[in-house]
Amino acid sequence: MPEEQSQTIMAVDELQAIIQRCQILEETDFKGEDFNLFQVAGQKCLEDGYAAQLLEVIQNEKNKVIIKNMGWNLISPLVRCIFMYKQEDDKREHCLKILDQLAQLCNPKELFLGLLEQIEQTSGEQVCQTVMLLLQPLQIVLLKLQNKKAYSVGLSLAMIMNQLTPLPVPYTKQQIQEDKLGLCQCCNAVVDFAKPFVNEVVKNMEKSSEYNDMELKEELLKFCMKSLKYPLLTAQLEQLEGIEEHPFRHFANEIIDILWDIRELIPLVFLHRKGKSLHWENQEFADIEQKNSAESVACLSYLMFVQHFGIDCFPLVFSPSYLLQCNMMHIEVLLKRTEESMLSKGLDLFESCLLRMEDNSLLHQYLEFRDFINVPQDLVKVMTLCPIEHLRKKSLNILQLFIDKFDAEGKYTLFRCLLKTSNHAGVEGYIIKNIKDQIHLSLTKACDNIWFTGHHLISLLDLVLLLPEGAETDLLQNSDRIMASLNLLRYLVIKDCESDNQTGVWTALAKIEQNFLKPLHVGLNMSKAHYEAEIKNTKENRREAHSSNTVCSVTVSGEKMPAMTTEMQLQVLHSALFTFDLIESVLARVEELIEVKIKAVMDENS
Amino acid sequence: MAATAGPAQPWSAEELRSEALPKKDIIKFLQEHAAQAVRAGRGGRCGGGPSAAHRRVLQFLAEHKLLGQVKNVAKTANKEQLIAAYTQLFHTQRFKGTDGAEKAAEKTKPAKAEEAKGKAAKAEEAVEEGPPKYTKSILKKGDKTNFPKKGDTVHCWYTGKLQDGTVFDTNIQTSSKKKKAAKPLSFKVGVGKVIRGWDEALLTMSKGEKAQLEIEPEWAYGKKGQPDAKYPSTVITHSVTWKCWVEYSALRAGT
Repeated sequence: MPEEQSQTIMAVDELQAIIQRCQILEETDFKGEDFNLFQVAGQKCLEDGYAAQLLEVIQNEKNKVIIKNMGWNLISPLVRCIFMYKQEDDKREHCLKILDQLAQLCNPKELFLGLLEQIEQTSGEQVCQTVMLLLQPLQIVLLKLQNKKAYSVGLSLAMIMNQLTPLPVPYTKQQIQEDKLGLCQCCNAVVDFAKPFVNEVVKNMEKSSEYNDMELKEELLKFCMKSLKYPLLTAQLEQLEGIEEHPFRHFANEIIDILWDIRELIPLVFLHRKGKSLHWENQEFADIEQKNSAESVACLSYLMFVQHFGIDCFPLVFSPSYLLQCNMMHIEVLLKRTEESMLSKGLDLFESCLLRMEDNSLLHQYLEFRDFINVPQDLVKVMTLCPIEHLRKKSLNILQLFIDKFDAEGKYTLFRCLLKTSNHAGVEGYIIKNIKDQIHLSLTKACDNIWFTGHHLISLLDLVLLLPEGAETDLLQNSDRIMASLNLLRYLVIKDCESDNQTGVWTALAKIEQNFLKPLHVGLNMSKAHYEAEIKNTKENRREAHSSNTVCSVTVSGEKMPAMTTEMQLQVLHSALFTFDLIESVLARVEELIEVKIKAVMDENS
Repeated sequence: MAATAGPAQPWSAEELRSEALPKKDIIKFLQEHAAQAVRAGRGGRCGGGPSAAHRRVLQFLAEHKLLGQVKNVAKTANKEQLIAAYTQLFHTQRFKGTDGAEKAAEKTKPAKAEEAKGKAAKAEEAVEEGPPKYTKSILKKGDKTNFPKKGDTVHCWYTGKLQDGTVFDTNIQTSSKKKKAAKPLSFKVGVGKVIRGWDEALLTMSKGEKAQLEIEPEWAYGKKGQPDAKYPSTVITHSVTWKCWVEYSALRAGT
């Protein structure tokens, strides 16, 4: 017992000793050794549980000068201790008070470095806790800095965001409510931390119409741009049932408020490719900056136009076509990503722009913009390649919406483009069905639509009524497309009398027979023969001993698929035959109809 | 324009009670109508003077604890209270100040109508597509010599109102909420960047002109309206005649 006591007395005594020594010295006479001793003694007090005594020393008026110079060295052990103690512990309270005192008393420049260092050194689970603990003293210190304040504010925000970026963003409702690592809380704390600096920028802007000191404003802008990318681009931002105040929605709102206050909101929304990156002389750097900011600005558009944050500030007078044009580049940026959070934002943004427009109101000239051609192709990639089913379905719906908004010439051009570029039988089949619908509209409406009748249509049909590889085309793989084409042809033959020939199909009949119908016959015969032979072989093999001579195996998601049984193989082969039968029956029907009509005309003429 | 009995109800009883309608939307609507009444009270020659209307309005808001910043009010007021205030507004037609403004407007109508008819007739001759789907009443004449051409950049101040008088869009700073030096909206006119009513009307306005435009849905937001507008029912479900006060501060040709 006495040994412990003497040890504890030592810790406080040592502190008192160094204090007394320094009290009589001039500030300029403080030596490195003194700093060291102070730090060691202070640290020992903290570690041994004598925070209360340390606090007393710090609060003592007489020690003001000493603390001012040497206090910042205590940050590291202080933070360690705060995390060591439990919430209710008195010692923790004392430590927090010490932290506050240090913020008030120490040299701002040095304390700033000490705090920043502490933030830089944390990682993993400690990050958010540490940042939230140190935000207030950091703010106090920054507000005291005179020169280089803007630079320091920028550095702090950049450092904090750098530390937060590796952390996973809570996505599901449960994850958000749990907020295991404290990221949700921390982000909102950071945005509160930034508020006095925003207010300062606002005040300066009001004072002089020519606001010269751009630096603080630029730093805040950088922070907002970073936040838009992380965590907002990755976060789930829809309203969630049962969560009153969604932390990321709140954060998004605050970021938009900051952008509005520093007068960057509207300029950013209208940011076009030409323009902003004048900072860099090196084009490569400029390109990198553009790329980084592209995602932030895309997220901003999503926030405004889909979640309606800050939409109050946006003038409502712009035409929907113009808004779509402005947003296409953002949509493109988002659709090129593969992460669900970003893809879904891109799709939502696209959808909301399209819903504002009337059908048939989008002029075909818009297709001259590169992104108006790129984006539907990106949509096709999503609907065919994305592993997430609801996104595939959604992108198909949006493609239809996009098609519906164009005028006739626009639809025509888009159909041609997609038929040539999609390389996917399902998509081609879908487009061909759209073509059929447009033809139907043209034939039934009173007005004459030149794009889906006559020579324009014939030119389009050249792309539709053909087999891509002639008779050798894989009929199974292209069955969607072939069926759609046959249905279209059947429709044309039924609907358009040879005497009218509005669609021009009768004039092109010879060509259609040569490029489509004949090769299809040949292909069908070949395929059927091939598959029937395969079935025969498989049945024969079954009679023999079941040999486990697998030539190749298939692995899906790390699991090896079991070899197909003979029954399964036969099933597949039979279903292929069934598809061929289907195609053949429609083909037969079409040819029958053609024959009937031609015969009718010939009878009429004779 | 028949004198309506007061502001139209944007939400039905069910919509009010539903979770989907946030408190702050109701608060904003109520505060905005109060602001409307105050402005109307100031301009109208009928009814009590400006201070009386102002007092009545403040009384109403204070009674229902609606004074102050929207988000603070949202924290203290609960949904029931807001619904009560909203219902009372329409039952008692508290904001009688609006009648005064409407009566004053009706008096000036006949003279303006002639001008509008004249302009419409002229436009009819010029455009093959049909009559312009907007009417313009000049409130202040411009210099009558400088007119914008298609592709020119114009700068304007504007206020957009719904049929019930609610301001849904403006760049003129009236409230202290958005404290910042307002800038006029700049854009290239006549090339499809703005709604058609604006594109057509602005080409007929000379520098310095102040006009009121009533734009039919086809040349504004279409019959469907804006699907995501911050004024849900009025803009979405009803076709909107959009009133736009366009003022010119300066007219600069070129890029």
